Amino acid sequence: MDSNKKYWKGLEELNKTPEFVELNKNEFAEPIPIEDILTGGGLTGRTPRRDFLKALGFGVGAVTLAACQPVPVHKSLPYLIKPEEVTPGIPNYYVSTYDGQAILVKTREGRPIKIEGHPNDILAKGGASAQAQASVLDLYDVNRLQGPLKDGSQTGWAQVDDFVVRELLAIQASGKKIAIVSSTVTSPSTLGVIADFVKQFPAAKHINYDAVSYTGIIQANQNSFGKAVLPHYNFDKADIIVSFAADFLGTWISPEEFTRQYVSNRNNKSLESKKMSRHIQFETGMSLTGSNADVRIPIKPSEEGAALIALYNAISGSSLAGKALSNKVAQNAVTIAAKELLAAKGKALVVAGSNDVATQILVNAINSLLGSYGTTIDLDNPSLQYAGNDAEFVEFVNEMKSGAVGAVFFLNANPAYDYYNSKDIADGLKKVRLKVSFATSTDETSSLCNVVAPNHHYLESWGDDNAISGYYTVMQPTINPVYDTRQAEQSLMKWSDNPAKEYYRYVRDNWDKNLLAKGGLSGQSGWETLLQTGFVKETPKAGGSYAFNMSLSAVAQTISDHSTELTAADGKTEMSLYQSPAIRDGKRANNPWLQELPDPVSKVTWDNFAAMAPADMKAKGLQDGDAVKIVANGYTISLPVLSQPGQARGTISVAVGYGRTVVGPVGINVGKNAFPFYSLRNKTFQTSAVATLTSVGENWPLAQTQTHHSIEGRNSIIKEASFTQYLKNPASGTGKEEGHKEYKPDLFWQKHDNPTYDWVMAIDLNACTGCGACVVACSAENNVPVVGKDEVGRRREMHWIRIDRYYSFDDNGTEGGVTREHAIADLNVDQLDHVKVVYQPMLCQHCEHAPCETVCPVLATVHSSEGLNHMAYNRCVGTRYCANNCPYKVRRFNWFNYWNDSRFDNYLNNEHTQLVLNPDVVTRFRGVMEKCSMCIQRIQAGKLKAKIEKRPLKDGEVKMACQQTCSANAIVFGNANDPESEVSKALASERTYYVLEELNVKPGVGYQTKIRNISETEA
Amino acid sequence: MRSFSLIFKQFSRSVLLIACFAFVGTYAYAQGDAVKGEALFKAKCTACHKLDQQVVGPALGKLITDETDDKFLTKWIQNNQALIAAKNPKAVTVFNQFNQANMTVFADLTDGDVANILTYVRTEWKKMSATPAPGTGPAVVVDKGPSKIIILSLLGVIVLAFIVILVLNRVITTLERLLAKNNVTILEEEAVAGESVDRLAFLKKLAKNKKFVFFVLLCGTIFLGVYTFIGLWTTNLHQGYQPVQPIKFPHDLHAGAMKIDCQYCHSGAYKSKNATIPSLNVCMNCHKVISSAFGSKTASVEIHKIYDALGFDPATQKYDTTKAHPVQWIRIHNLPDLAYFNHSQHVKVGKIKCQTCHGPVQEMKEVYQYSPLTMKWCIQCHKRTNVDFKDNAYYANLQQVHDLLKDGKQVTASLMGGIECGKCHY
Repeated sequence: MDSNKKYWKGLEELNKTPEFVELNKNEFAEPIPIEDILTGGGLTGRTPRRDFLKALGFGVGAVTLAACQPVPVHKSLPYLIKPEEVTPGIPNYYVSTYDGQAILVKTREGRPIKIEGHPNDILAKGGASAQAQASVLDLYDVNRLQGPLKDGSQTGWAQVDDFVVRELLAIQASGKKIAIVSSTVTSPSTLGVIADFVKQFPAAKHINYDAVSYTGIIQANQNSFGKAVLPHYNFDKADIIVSFAADFLGTWISPEEFTRQYVSNRNNKSLESKKMSRHIQFETGMSLTGSNADVRIPIKPSEEGAALIALYNAISGSSLAGKALSNKVAQNAVTIAAKELLAAKGKALVVAGSNDVATQILVNAINSLLGSYGTTIDLDNPSLQYAGNDAEFVEFVNEMKSGAVGAVFFLNANPAYDYYNSKDIADGLKKVRLKVSFATSTDETSSLCNVVAPNHHYLESWGDDNAISGYYTVMQPTINPVYDTRQAEQSLMKWSDNPAKEYYRYVRDNWDKNLLAKGGLSGQSGWETLLQTGFVKETPKAGGSYAFNMSLSAVAQTISDHSTELTAADGKTEMSLYQSPAIRDGKRANNPWLQELPDPVSKVTWDNFAAMAPADMKAKGLQDGDAVKIVANGYTISLPVLSQPGQARGTISVAVGYGRTVVGPVGINVGKNAFPFYSLRNKTFQTSAVATLTSVGENWPLAQTQTHHSIEGRNSIIKEASFTQYLKNPASGTGKEEGHKEYKPDLFWQKHDNPTYDWVMAIDLNACTGCGACVVACSAENNVPVVGKDEVGRRREMHWIRIDRYYSFDDNGTEGGVTREHAIADLNVDQLDHVKVVYQPMLCQHCEHAPCETVCPVLATVHSSEGLNHMAYNRCVGTRYCANNCPYKVRRFNWFNYWNDSRFDNYLNNEHTQLVLNPDVVTRFRGVMEKCSMCIQRIQAGKLKAKIEKRPLKDGEVKMACQQTCSANAIVFGNANDPESEVSKALASERTYYVLEELNVKPGVGYQTKIRNISETEA
Repeated sequence: MRSFSLIFKQFSRSVLLIACFAFVGTYAYAQGDAVKGEALFKAKCTACHKLDQQVVGPALGKLITDETDDKFLTKWIQNNQALIAAKNPKAVTVFNQFNQANMTVFADLTDGDVANILTYVRTEWKKMSATPAPGTGPAVVVDKGPSKIIILSLLGVIVLAFIVILVLNRVITTLERLLAKNNVTILEEEAVAGESVDRLAFLKKLAKNKKFVFFVLLCGTIFLGVYTFIGLWTTNLHQGYQPVQPIKFPHDLHAGAMKIDCQYCHSGAYKSKNATIPSLNVCMNCHKVISSAFGSKTASVEIHKIYDALGFDPATQKYDTTKAHPVQWIRIHNLPDLAYFNHSQHVKVGKIKCQTCHGPVQEMKEVYQYSPLTMKWCIQCHKRTNVDFKDNAYYANLQQVHDLLKDGKQVTASLMGGIECGKCHY
C-alpha cells in the first residue's frame, strides 16, 4: 500500500491556488508566443512580403558566407620550460585549508578549479560546505582589487609601505592607540605575526570581532568553569540532543563537523544496529537544524528563557524562579525533553544558539547536571573557530569616537557593514589618522579607509590554521597571485620590520619550531610530508571534570528580564535574526553560486525576507511577497514577507548577510541589511528584537524555487516511518511491508544489457540534512550556469541537482494523519505551526526505461550500456519534449548563452571568471537541454586510470561531485553489477524505495526512507 | 629559477674543462696513442664536446693545443671537482670563470688514457687547421649550380632552333605563294566555307533533338548535385589542412630519418588527454648540441627560432629569461569543444599507433591533417577495432564481457559502449 500522506512543497501547492495549478500544468512557466504570432497581428502585421524576402535573402546569404570561413586558427602555446609536475590535461591536487578544515584543491594547468574535502580531515571527513565549494569562484572575481589603493586611487606597494610606516611611527610617538581588528584569527602563524607587530608597536592591540558572535558561550564558560573557551561539541556521542535555536547543522560554530557527527547516529549504519539519536529543537524560525529535528517546537524569542528555566527545573528538581512558560505545547515538550535527557545522562547534550551570557550559563548548568562535560562537551580540547569579544570591540569603537585611536587595521572584518551601529564606525573612523583595510575587494569598511592593501585570496597564500585545539592544518598556494596583491601577514611584517622578510619563511619557521613536532614530523622531510598530508594532530588532552557550582538565581533573573524586554507589546512582533546557510554573515555576498543556492528551508534565492507564520499572514491580510516596513532598535527596512510553516506565531525571522552596499555587481543591493537590528545587551550582541510591522502596500516577488518542478499529485515520492515502526519492520513505510505490488517493468520494454557496469546511486533521506552543498559542488564540477534572480523567478534555474523540501503535517500518532483524500479542506492554519520536513535531493534518475528517451525526435538522449541516460547536447534541437515527459522534472533548458550574454554579467561573462570552468565538461549553448550526467567525466576518468594502471576499477574510486562534498555521506554511488559494492549494499537495505516506482521507468537512483525518532505517545 | 637551474645543470659537465685549458703552462705535451685516444674521445667526451665548436662544453681543439700543462689537464679530466675542492688556484679561477658549473668526473680514466685523448685531440686539431673546412674551399664554387657556359650554350641552342623555325617558315610561305600563282587557292577556300556551314547545322540539329538536350541537362544536374553534395558534406572538414607554422618543424627528419620515438616529445599522449606540444626545454635536450641543419656548418634559421624563444644565446650558452617568449604554434587537429578525446585511452590502453590517425608523420615535411576527424570516421574505427584484453587486469572483473568472448564473439570498442553518445560528448 502506498502512503496516502500528503506532502507539499509550499502553501500554494497545499491550497491549490489557481496560479500554482496553472503554472504546474506546464513544464515551462512561460509559453513561447507561437500562438500569438500565428493568430494575432503576427502575420498580418507590419512584416510585408518584401521585408520577409529581404530577411530571407540576408539570412541565406549570411549563413552561406558564415559557412565559407576558412579553418579557424587556434593558437596552441606550449610551456617554454614545463614544470615537472604539470601534465596538460591531468589535474593536480594540493592540500590546503579552508576555515580550519583540511581540503584538497584540484588544479588544472596551474589554475585551481574545484575545492574538495580532504578525506582524512578530522572535522568533516571529506565533506565540504557550500561556502567552501564556492570559495574557488571568488579567486576569479573580476571585482577583486588589482593593486593597493591610497585615498581611493591606485598606487604602488612602495608608496603604501612608505606611507604606512611613516604614519605608524608618528602615531607611536603621539602615544595614540593602534588596533588590529580582525574576524577570529585561527592561524598560529598569523597570530604570531600580529604578536610580533604588537611587540614592535606596544600601543597596538589585536581585537577579534565576529559579525556573528559567540561571546556569550565563551563568557559563560569563563563564569561557570573559569575557562574562556568555545567548547568542542561531540554530537556523535549524544543519544539525545536538545537545541534551543542553535542551527548546528546549518550555521552554528562548525556545521560541517556537526553534520557528520549528527548523521553518524541516524544513518543507515546506525539504524541497522538499531540505534538512532533523538533530537528536539526549540526555535523561532524554521532553521535547517529545526527542520531535521524529530520534534520541533516553535517558541518566541521571549519564551526561550522561560523554556530553559523550566527545563532546568524539571531536570534538577529545583524551582528556579522565572517567568512561567505560557506556551503549553512548549511546556509539554520541555517536560518530555527533561525526562528523556535524564534517562540518557552522560549521553545527552543541550545547546543554545543564544549569545546571551546568562542563557549560556543556564545551559552549562543543565549540561553539568546531565554529565555532558567530558562526554558530549569537551572543554579541554576547545574549538578555536570563534574568539570574538563583543565588549572589547565596543570599547574600541568608543575609543575611536573619543579620538584615542591613531591607527586601525581591518583584517577580514567589515564592521561598517555588519556592526549593529555602523554610524559609530563611520564617525569613529573619521577621527582615526591611519585606516588600513586588507579587504580583497572594496567593501563598506575599506571604502572608509585611507589605505587598502589588498590581501591574497586564500588559494594564493601560504598559511596555516587551527580550528580546534590540537588540529593544525597547512595552507599552500595553488596559483601565483593573479593581481598585484600582497598577503596581509606580509604587509604587517613589512610595516613592523619583522626579522623574517618573507611570510612563507615565517610559516616555515613556525612549523619547524612549534608545530611539526606535534605530528611527529621534523625538518625538510617533515615539511614535505605535511604538504602532502595537510595537517598534524596532537593526541587530545584527557578531559578534566567540571563541576558547576554557581548560584543561578541572579542568572535566572537576568534571563527573565531579557525575556520581558523581548516580549512584544500589542501590535508588535518579536523578531529573530539568523544566518542563511548559503550567505552566512555576508562576507561572500559577491559569489553568484551562493546567491543562487536556494535557502534550504524557504527555497528563496537572491534575497532576504521576513518569514512569518501563515496564521499571522492571514490575520494581517498579507500575501507572499507583500512588502512590510520593519522598525526595530531605531532602524527601518522594508522586506517582502514569506509565509513560513513552522514559524512561531507572533514572530518574524530575518536573515542577516544581505543588503551589502559596497560590493561587486553580484551581491550589491541583494536584500536588505539586517545587522543593524542587533543590539548590545550585557556586553554581548543580541539577535532578537521587538519590531513594528507596517505594510508598504507593494508586492516584491521573491525568486523562490520551492514549487518549481513539482511532481504534483503523486503519492510515492516521499516515504517515511517512525523509528518504532522501523524497529518492528525495517521496511516500514516503503510500501513493501504489506503486500507490495511487484512491478514488472520489463513487460513492455526491452531490458537493457549492462555488460560492463551498471551505475546507480543510493540516497539516504535520513542522512541528508538538505544543506545544499551538493548543489554548489555540482555547479562547480559541471559548469552549471547561474541565471540570476529574474530568471529564477521565471522558473529557469539550471541546477542539475536540487533539494526538494517537502512539508507534511504532524499526524499526531494517528494512522494516516492528514491525507490528500480528506481533511485538507477542513485544515485550520493552526496545523501549519507544526509541520514535518523531509529533504529529498532530486537529480536525473537515469531510468532504465527513461520516458525522455522515447520522445526525443533526434535521439539526443539515449540509454547507455552502463545504465546511464546520456544527453548529447549537440544533437539536441531544443524541442523540450523530454522535459515535458520527465516525471521527475530534472531536465533543464538553456534559454540563453549564459557565458556570453550581457544580461548575465554577474557570472561568467568575462574571460577571467571563465577560467574556473572545468575543462573536461563542455559549456552548453542556448537552445539545448541539459541534466545530470552522473558526472560522466569522472566515471570516464576513473575507468581510464584503472585501464592505464591495468587493474580493475575499485569500488568507491569514482565519486560524484555531490557525493564527495556531502558531510553526511547521504549519497552513495557505484556499480550495481558488483554485489560487493557499497551502493549495492546500500540499495539492499530494506528501507530502499524508488521514487514513482509505479511508473515502471526503473530509476537508477534508490532512496532510503526517512525515519523519525518519534514515540507514539507524544508529539 | 627553473631555467636558471637548467642552465646550471646543462653547463655543469662542460665548462670546467675549458677552464683548465685557459692556463698556458709549459709545452710538455704528453705522448700518447692517437688511435686509442680517438676511441676514448668518442666514448667519453663527444656527449659534451667538439673540437671546433662549442656545444655543451667548449671547443677543445684549440684549447688543448694551447694548454701546455698536461699534469693539470690530466688531474682536471680525471677529477675536476677534487681540484676545485682542494682550492687549486688555477682550477678555482676556471671554475668561477665558467659560472661554477661542474664537469663530469672521469675517475676511471688512467693517466695513459688521458694522454691518448690529448694526443688525439692535438693531432686531429692540427689536421683540421691544415685542411680548410669544407664549405670555404674552392670546391664550393663548383657546387654553386650550373655554370655560365652551360647556360650560355643552352641559350645558343634555343636561338639556333628559332632561326631554323624561321627559315622553314620562309620556305613554306614561298611554296604557298608559288601554289597560289597556279590558281589552286579558290578551290581550297570554297571547301573551307562549305565545311563550316555543315558543322553549325549539325549543332542546330542536336539542339533540336529533345532526347539529347534532356540527356545533357540530366548529366549537368547530376554533376552539379554531386558537386554541391560533396561540397556541403565536407564543409568545415579540414583534411589536408597544413597551416604555416612559426617554426618549420620537419617531422620527416625527426621521426623519420632520426627515428625519434613520438613519445619522446609528445609524452602527454601516453598519460593525458592532450598529446601536448613539447615545451622548448625538450627541444633543447638535443638542440643545445645540434645548432645546424644536418651536414651544414651554418646555424639553422629554424633551430635559431628555438633559441630566440628561450632567450638562449648559443655563443655564451646562457639563457636570458627576459627575452623568452612562447612559440605560437597553430593547431592542426581541431576537435570541437563538444567532443572529448583522450589520447592516453587510445595510445596507452588501446595501443593504437599514432600513424593510424595522424598518418605517415615520419614522412611529412610539415604536418598536415591526415584524417577527416569526423564522427563517422571515429565510429567506423570503434566498430572495427577489437578491444585488446591481453595483459590488462582492468577487464578481469567484467564478467559479461568474458561470456561474450567465450562465445567466440569479437568484442569491439563499440560493444563496450564505445559508440554511445556519452562516451565522447559531455
